[in-house]
Amino acid sequence: MKNNSLKKSIWVFHLNTGSCNGCDIEILDALTPYFDVERFGIKLVASPRHADLVLLTGPITLKTLPMVINALRAVPRPRYVLAIGACAVGGGIWYDSYSVIGGVKEFKKILEEHNVEIDKIVFVPGCPARPEAIIYGVALLLGLVKEKVSKEVVVID
Amino acid sequence: MTLKKLLKPFKLLSIAKKAGVVTVLYPYQKPLITPEFRGKIVIDSTKCMGCGACANACPPNALLITESNEAVILNYFVGRCIFCGRCADVCPTGAISISNEFELATTNLDNLKTILVHRHRECVNCGRPFATGRMLEYVLRKVHMAKKYINECPDCRKNRFINIVSIRKR
Repeated sequence: MKNNSLKKSIWVFHLNTGSCNGCDIEILDALTPYFDVERFGIKLVASPRHADLVLLTGPITLKTLPMVINALRAVPRPRYVLAIGACAVGGGIWYDSYSVIGGVKEFKKILEEHNVEIDKIVFVPGCPARPEAIIYGVALLLGLVKEKVSKEVVVID
Repeated sequence: MTLKKLLKPFKLLSIAKKAGVVTVLYPYQKPLITPEFRGKIVIDSTKCMGCGACANACPPNALLITESNEAVILNYFVGRCIFCGRCADVCPTGAISISNEFELATTNLDNLKTILVHRHRECVNCGRPFATGRMLEYVLRKVHMAKKYINECPDCRKNRFINIVSIRKR
C-alpha cells in the first residue's frame, strides 16, 4: 500500500463541489491545533498544482463539474482523492436530483471520458464527516490504520 | 521598551506551559465520543422482518427496499446515510439501533453495503410465495385469531371466503 509519493508529507487541496459547508468546516477543524494534522505532514495548499491529495466535498453539481475536472487535471500524478461526506460518496440527499451528478462513482466515469485518471479514492462517509473520520481516512491512505467496514449479506428464511 | 520585546518569547512560553498540550493523538488514541453521538446504524438480522418502514422514513434513501416474487431485499448503503436515526424511531420490532461507529473510511464502495435478503414463505394451498416468515410471526404475535389462515396467501383467503358465502346462499 505504501507508495513512494506517500512517504513524504502530503499536501492537500480543498475542493468544494457544491457542498453545504458542513464538511468544509470539519476539514477546517481537522487543520486546527486540536487535531493538528500537520503531525502527519498534511498541509493545506492554495493551488491544485502543488497538491498530492484532493479533499473533495459536495455532490458535484453540474455547474461546478467543468471546474472540478480542470482542478483535478491540474493535480500532478499520482493523484489521490478523499471523498468526504455523504454527498461526495453516494450523492447524499440529492443523489437522484436533476442538477447533481450523484457521488464519485458516476463522476469517475465522466473523468474517464475526459482522460483524467485518479490513482486512488478513499471514501469517508458521514453527514458531516467528523474531523476524526477525515483523519482516519487520511491515515488509511497512508497505511497507518486498517479498514474496519466490510460487506455484509444475510439471507433470512 | 527593548527589554519588554526581549521578554515577550518567555511570556509566551509561560502562557503555553499553563495551557499545556491540547492536541489529541487521534489515530493512536481513543476519540472523544459523547453518548448522544449518532453513527452508523446496525440492523439486527434476528429481529428484522422486512416491512420497509425504515426505507419509507429514510430521507436520502440510504435504506432501500426492493420486492421481487421470491424475496424482499433490504439494502443499506452507509455512504448515503446522514445518520438522522429516523429508521430506529419507526422500526416496529426494534431491529435497528444506532451505534457510535464513525470510522467508516474505505477504498471500496462495496464495503459500505449491508444487504438483508428475506425469503418469502409459500402458500399452503397454491404454493405461491406471498410474505416473509418474520412478518407472519409478527402478525401472529399481535392477532392470535389469525392462526387459522396465516399460512394462506391473500388470494386463497379471498377464494375461501367467497366459497363459504356461496355455500350459505344455497
